[in-house]
Formats: sequence, C-alpha cells, structure tokens
Amino acid sequence: MNIDEIFDFTSFTIDREPHIVLDANVCVGCDNRGCTNCCPARCYTWSEEEQKMTFVYDGCLECGTCYVVCHRKAFTRWRYPRGGFGVAYRMT
Amino acid sequence: MSELYDAIVVGAGPAGSSAALTMARAGLKVVLVERGSFPGEKNMFGGVLHRLPALEEVFPDFWDRAPLERHIVKKGVTFMTGDSSFSTTIEAGNFDRPPYNGYTIFRPRFDRWLAEEAVKAGATLLTRSTVDELVYEGSRLAGVTILGREGKLSAPVVVAADGVLSFTALKAGLRRPTFNEGQMAVGVKALLDMPREMIDDRFGLVRDQGFANEFVGCTAGVRGGGFLYTNYDSLSVGLVFHLASLKTSGKTPYDLLNQFLEQPQVAKMVCGGRLQEYSAHVIRGGGYDMIPELVGNGVLVTGDAAAFCNATGLNLEGINLASHSGVLAGKAVIAAAGKGDFSRKGLDIYRQLLNDSYVMKDLKLYRKAPHMLHNDRIYNEYPELVTSLMEYIYRIEGAPKENISKLFLKAAREKVGLGNLVGDALSAWRAL
Repeated sequence: MNIDEIFDFTSFTIDREPHIVLDANVCVGCDNRGCTNCCPARCYTWSEEEQKMTFVYDGCLECGTCYVVCHRKAFTRWRYPRGGFGVAYRMT
Repeated sequence: MSELYDAIVVGAGPAGSSAALTMARAGLKVVLVERGSFPGEKNMFGGVLHRLPALEEVFPDFWDRAPLERHIVKKGVTFMTGDSSFSTTIEAGNFDRPPYNGYTIFRPRFDRWLAEEAVKAGATLLTRSTVDELVYEGSRLAGVTILGREGKLSAPVVVAADGVLSFTALKAGLRRPTFNEGQMAVGVKALLDMPREMIDDRFGLVRDQGFANEFVGCTAGVRGGGFLYTNYDSLSVGLVFHLASLKTSGKTPYDLLNQFLEQPQVAKMVCGGRLQEYSAHVIRGGGYDMIPELVGNGVLVTGDAAAFCNATGLNLEGINLASHSGVLAGKAVIAAAGKGDFSRKGLDIYRQLLNDSYVMKDLKLYRKAPHMLHNDRIYNEYPELVTSLMEYIYRIEGAPKENISKLFLKAAREKVGLGNLVGDALSAWRAL
C-alpha cells in the first residue's frame, strides 16, 4: 500500500472549506512535530530545508490523531467536516 | 428548521441508534443526527460484534435481521518477530452453535441498517448534519445548531453519541479540553478483497465460520498490536498503536502496516488479497480512568464518547458497550421525560443504570490493564523469548538437549531479566 495513492482506495467528498485550519507558524517552533509521523494519511509534511510545515486536508481520514498529538495548540480550527463532506467509507 | 423534539441524539453509530431506537419504541419524538451522508460512512473498527443484551431486550429479533458477516469460531493470538511467530488458537464447538459469541461486520452496512431500524421505530434520521453548538436558555439545554444543513433543532435533552472525540461532551463541559496521548491509541486498517473459498481453505473454515487473530510483537517496538479478521469475502487486517509511543518512535502507521503485511507468516495469510479500502481512527486506550462526566444538565454521554471501550484485555470490545450504554441512556431519558425533569439530577438514573451493568463492572475490573500494557517488554522481548524458545524446543539436530525449564530461565534472564519477569507476571495477574 502506497499512502500517496490514498485516493485510489479510499473515497472522499472534498469540501472547499477546510475543517482543520493550521497556524503553520506555530509548527516552526515545535520540538517534535508528532503529527508528521503519526497522521495515518500523511497530511502533514515538514520541510527541513524550508523550515516549513505543509498541511493538506483533502485525504484526511478524520481519525483524530493530530487533535490528540499536537501539544502546541497549532489549530485555529479543528472540527469535523460539514455534513456530507469528508471521508466516505464504503465497506470497512 | 427549528422543530421541537423530545430528544436529540448526536451520532448514528451503535450507541446513538440504540438510544434512538429505545426512545422511539417508547413513543418519544426523537431526532438522530448524523454527519455522514449515511450512518456508518465515517465509522471504522477492527473488530467483532459481540452479544448485545440490552438491545436484544428492546429488539428481540435483532440477530435474525442484522446484516452480519461470519460468526467467530476460532480465535488466535500470535507472538511475532521479524521472521518467526508462535501462535495459539482456540476453536470451540460452542462458538459454532447459536447464540454465537461474535460476528465480523461492515460498519457502513451495519450502522446504516441499525439507524434505519430506529427510523422504523419512529425516530427521524437527519444525515449530512454535523452538530455544531449546544444552545442553552439560561442553564437549561434547549437544542443544537447544525453545520451542513444550516439550522437548529430544539429539545430539552441531548444524547452525545458522537464518538471518541465527542465535541458535544466538550461543549457541554463534560470532558476535558485536551486528551493525554499516553491514554490514546490509533488504529489503521486495510480491507483486502479475497474470494470466499480461498478464505475458507486458508483458515480452515466452513459455512459461515470466521476466524479472528490478534498479534503481538508486530509493531517494530512501538507499543501496540495487530489484528486479522475474516469477513465473507475479504480480510480486515490492521495495527493499533499507543499514540505517545508511536510519536516518540518517529515511525509512521502506514510503513508499519506495510511491514506487518510483508512479515513472512502474515504475507502468506494475506497473499492474493487486493486492497479495497484503508481507514484509520483514534481509540481511547485508557479504560475506566478516561471516562468523562456522564451526565450534565440536559446531556447524557454514551458509547465511545463516554470512553466505553475495552481495548486492553484479551477481548477487544466497543460496539457492545456502546449499544448497551445507548439503550440505558434511552431508558434514562424516558424516565426523565416521565417526571419532566431533564436536569443533571433528573437524568442521574443513567449513571445508576450504568453502574449496575456489565459496562461499568468490566471497565472497573480491567482498570489496571492499561498500566500493564505500558511496558515495552511486551512488544519486543516477550515475543522474541517465546518464539526463540519454541524454535529451540522443536529443533532436532543430533546434539544433546538442555532441560527446558533451565533453558527458559536462561533465555528469560538474557532477554528480560528475572526480576522483570516476576514483576511483569505479577502485574499481568493483578490487571487481568
């Protein structure tokens, strides 16, 4: 399983309005960035070179991991997608 | 949209639908609010559906009607290292006779069906609706607002069945604003398509028989474990990790899952399976000590939202506890409606019903299990000890054998330390 191909095997109805909003400036000062390795959908990537956190919510599985592991309160919004949007499991 | 209901249930999972069904059958006007485009769309579990005593009471023909997969007749535990494994299996004749002990199910199918049963009983189901805020009139609860279908629902009582993170419980001031990652786990799961005959032959099953296996030592040193369950024509395979341990390890869930699927013995079990879906969810691993306030003014907390989850014993339970607590929440609301008192005091009967039920009794019984599992030796040294010892016992190569108990002590001393061995055995004994 290649996580970069997540859209090939899990369905999503992507909302234009993000359900999670990250203040990436907070991440620059974070000492562990557990979100980057703990997120099961690899929504968070840290670039050492640019000293920058990139977050994409499109493939978010709404699992709650980042909500738990972020201890820097980097989210300016963390809620579930509006009704009808987000991950859509068919048979799990 | 501001219709007046007797009760609002947030979340159409097993807890919410059980609560809605119970209240609707008693004649209450209930609305069941679900954020997915159908109930079950957002739900995943790696598990088995066990008996549901409380729901069976309000829904006697439940097992004849529910959309189930295989009933579990065979349960196994595997201790694993990089290329070796030692397994034990129990296959009991009684597990193959009704009433069956447990079934594999698909959540998008099961949850949808259960919610539809609540609708047949008279509940209103509102999908594509994410509950946003709780609305109060003074200290009295008055309803909720909805994201998605913009609007408001009115009722004097809300049953929070909105899952592990329960923002409803948070907004009612019933759970703490942050979670301790040391008490949380995350599960990832791959659903693999596989022909039914192949599953039957491979795992030694006939008719509707199913197999459930748990794995220890398969998480590359991260605290956690693995699972494999057979559905009719697919396998559910996955891993669960303690979040603090995963975070420190720097490893990723998907790399570890791939490694697990490539371990030689697991690879043979899943060979030929085609990946259909990948899913993930956080689990409360802290057991009894994680239970939030269960009753507030006009609010009851049930299921995963209430941390009713046993993820640390030999059995992994969740849906059964959720459904049971949902029925009890429904009964508490019915009682409160009879008196017209939805205050914390009026709803407190919920806590009494729970305390008298197996839900609380089992969670209390296994209260110490989470602490026992915070021991890295379980995930590294013990699986290695077991597999290497068994390998030695079965290896015959024309050299004289050592006494097995001496050998065990020698290996245990080397790998674990005798003091640790005694201490771990004692803490396991106390915890279970």
